[in-house]
Amino acid sequence: MDAAVRRYRVMAYITGTVLIVLCFVGIPLQVAAGNDVIASDVGTLHGILYIIYLVTAYLLARRLRLPLGPTILMLAAGTIPVLTFVVERWVTRKYINPARQGQQAGQAAPTARAG
Amino acid sequence: MSSTEAGPPAAERAPAASWRFLVAPRWLGWHLAMVVSVAGMLALGYWQLRRAEEGNALSWAYTFEWPVFAVFAVVFWAKTIRDEFSPPQAGLACDEADPVAGAGPVGYAGRDDDQEADQAVPEDEDLTAYNAYLARLQEQVKNHGRWHGLR
Repeated sequence: MDAAVRRYRVMAYITGTVLIVLCFVGIPLQVAAGNDVIASDVGTLHGILYIIYLVTAYLLARRLRLPLGPTILMLAAGTIPVLTFVVERWVTRKYINPARQGQQAGQAAPTARAG
Repeated sequence: MSSTEAGPPAAERAPAASWRFLVAPRWLGWHLAMVVSVAGMLALGYWQLRRAEEGNALSWAYTFEWPVFAVFAVVFWAKTIRDEFSPPQAGLACDEADPVAGAGPVGYAGRDDDQEADQAVPEDEDLTAYNAYLARLQEQVKNHGRWHGLR
C-alpha cells in the first residue's frame, strides 16, 4: 500500500503545482498580455500529467476501498487548482492513516497482504 | 419428487436478486450520469478534432485526451460494478464484521426450525441437496452491492 500512496502523493503534488502555474501564471498572461506560450505548453503538460494522476489516484482509491463519492472527489481534484493539496491531506487523515493502523494491527494475521 | 419440481423456479430467483441492485434508482442515476459524461467527453474530443483541423495545433493533444478520459470513465464504471459482485478481499481498510455472515436465507433457516421436531425421520435427499444449494448461493451473493453502500 505504501507504494500506491507514494505514487499518488507524487502525482498529486506535481499535478497540483503544474495546475497552479497554469491557472495563476499561464492564463493571466494569455488573457492580459496575449502571451499564450505558457498557457499552451503548461496546459498540454497538465493534460498528460492528469491522465497519470487519474490512474494513480484510482489505484489508491481501490486499494483503500473508498466509497464512490470520495473516489470521484479524489479523481476530480486534479482539475481544480489547489484542491489536490487539500484532498491529499484529507485522504491521508481520513483514510490512509486509519488503513495503516488497521494494517499494523492485522500484521500478525497470516492472511494479511503485504504492501 | 415434489421438491425437485419446486427447485428450478426458486433457484432462478436467487441469483437474479444478485444483480437487481443495478436497476435501483440510485444506480440508474449513476448509469445515466455515466452515459451522459462519456457522450460529453467524446463530443468534446470531436470538437477539439475540428479545431485541430482548422489549424489549432494545441487541439491535437486534447483530441486524443478526451477519448482517453472517456475510456477511463467506462473502465471506472465497469470496475465499480464488478467490485459490487465480488468485493476485494482482505482488510487493508477499516470496517468488516459482516452483519449477515452466518445468517442463511430466511426460508432456509425457517425450514430447519420446522423440521427440528421430527429429526428422527431421515431427511429427504433432494431436500438436503437443495438446502446445500441455497446455502451455496447465499454465500456467493452475500456481499453483492454492499461495498459502496448504494443498494
